[in-house]
Amino acid sequence: MPMQISSINLILFSLHMTQFRNKISSALEGYLYLAPTLIGLSIFVFWPIYKSFTLSLNRIAPFGNQMRYVGLETYANLMTDADYWNSVRVSLLFVLGTVPVGIILAVLLAVALAYPLNNLSWLHRTLIFVPIVISSAVTGVLFRWIYHPVVGYLNYFMVQVGLFDRMQDAPNWLATKDWALIAVIMAVVWRQLGFNVIIALAGVQNIDQSYYEAAQIDGANLWHRIRHITLPLLTPTLFFLLLINIIYSFQAFGEIDVLTSGGPGRATQTMVYDIYYDAFVGTPMRGLASAKAYLLALMVVIMSYIQFATAQKQVHYQ
Amino acid sequence: MAMIDSLDSPIDTTTKRKERFTGTDLAVHILLLGLGLVIALPIFIAFFTSFKLPAQVASFPPTVFPQEWTLQNYQAAWNSTPFGRFMLNSIVQSGLITIGQVIFSILAAYAFSILVFPGRNLLFYIVLGSLMVPFELTFIPNFILVSEWGMADSYQGLIVPFIASAFGVFMLRQFFLTIPKELHDASKIDGAGNWRFLWKIVVPLSKASIGAFSIFAFLNAWNQYLWPLVITKTFEMRTLQIGIRFFMSNLERGQEWGPVMAGSMIALGPALIAFLIAQRQLVQGIAMTGLKG
Repeated sequence: MPMQISSINLILFSLHMTQFRNKISSALEGYLYLAPTLIGLSIFVFWPIYKSFTLSLNRIAPFGNQMRYVGLETYANLMTDADYWNSVRVSLLFVLGTVPVGIILAVLLAVALAYPLNNLSWLHRTLIFVPIVISSAVTGVLFRWIYHPVVGYLNYFMVQVGLFDRMQDAPNWLATKDWALIAVIMAVVWRQLGFNVIIALAGVQNIDQSYYEAAQIDGANLWHRIRHITLPLLTPTLFFLLLINIIYSFQAFGEIDVLTSGGPGRATQTMVYDIYYDAFVGTPMRGLASAKAYLLALMVVIMSYIQFATAQKQVHYQ
Repeated sequence: MAMIDSLDSPIDTTTKRKERFTGTDLAVHILLLGLGLVIALPIFIAFFTSFKLPAQVASFPPTVFPQEWTLQNYQAAWNSTPFGRFMLNSIVQSGLITIGQVIFSILAAYAFSILVFPGRNLLFYIVLGSLMVPFELTFIPNFILVSEWGMADSYQGLIVPFIASAFGVFMLRQFFLTIPKELHDASKIDGAGNWRFLWKIVVPLSKASIGAFSIFAFLNAWNQYLWPLVITKTFEMRTLQIGIRFFMSNLERGQEWGPVMAGSMIALGPALIAFLIAQRQLVQGIAMTGLKG
């Protein structure tokens, strides 16, 4: 009798052990598949968050390994640094210039592209989407050529249509403090257009046709339909576009480096460019750059958070 | 969000046959064509300028089409700066990053969609959260780290920080989630483990999504600017994007824009070709991100 009980116990025990082992092995298996990505992200995305902060608390010798702890002194100094606030101003102007214009243009183009055509839509789409594959560096080079003060296409075009009398009267885009930022903004808006139009088009086409049909039965005209159906139902897409474009605009770098290198006279020195400049150009000041980078990251995160928080009220779903 | 089946294409590319070609149709055609040409204009300008004789490049008033087509700009670009080397570097860098990202993302997306293990959801949100971390925050510590590991100014330095891609995990997981559980059960009955199920069934089924992501990853890697700028020092290791930038600033004095445009076309070429070939997949992939995002 005792033998039978203990053998049943033994069987139950080994069954539980197997289940337990299976559970562990399936968990392990999951983690194993995840490991490469998790390790990669931990080292190159998550750890830098911490390291960046510790760097910002020190003054670091340019090429040596000497670090001197200064705590939050760097941040305090930045608050009264005129050049720093200039870079903040430039960044904000830049974002204000690129994001609304880019999104509005994209929506207009998307609405036009959504119009059902029998043929040639592939051509229209290819031409309009194409900026998406252009790199920021090439964008900079192309626009530098277009903005050329002597033989540039843009100024020549403006002279031809009568905006100016001679090439010399038209703005010297990249060399003038007042125009340089606008010139960079135009280049970046152009480049982002491909991506924005694709997203906007998907959003527009995603709107259920039945809404439009019902409106047409009620006698609504085109403008009415756009205003009361397309736009409200496009709000999820607009929200997404706003988020992505703001984040991207705060990080735009390549075009600025190629077009103006932050100049003339810091007119296009955005926060990102300033950070790059501090860390890698001239005498590297990595502690300072890290502090600025942290402030920039905080700004972006807070803006994104505000956006998410207000989205609930603004965004309509079908 | 909207009720679309994830397998449907979010951008409608089918043509609808209509009865008549109306006046509005013509107007829209003209409008779109005009807009399209304006938008694509910079690229056309670069293309035509790269084939012009130097005299015509610097001529005023500026012209669009070359009077005489020549390859000398391309020769000048190729010879004066090591564009061949830049091209090789870009290909190696972009190719390896793409391969790495695809493999890592397939594995992780599989884990997050098909496999079951404790903490799965939490870990997924953590991975997703990494997308919120802006690049300017990470590139300085990464630079220091990569330099300390002796990988500065090398292929490893260009590639390793980018092998993990949270976006890839997100994108592929979206698709993997649509694979019916019955398939997995059936394969288990047949005695296949998770590994075999992944590579023999899931991956072949997901070719379209994986393809779209590959193109996306390749383009992003190809067009990278800030990281290659800071991590490479010598000419030998520069990528095309950095190469074109220095090429342009070196030539500014002599107004040699012909070779600069030729260099731009070289830097632009592979991305453009990839776009023309795979436009549909790329566009669908991006559109889906927007709808699910």
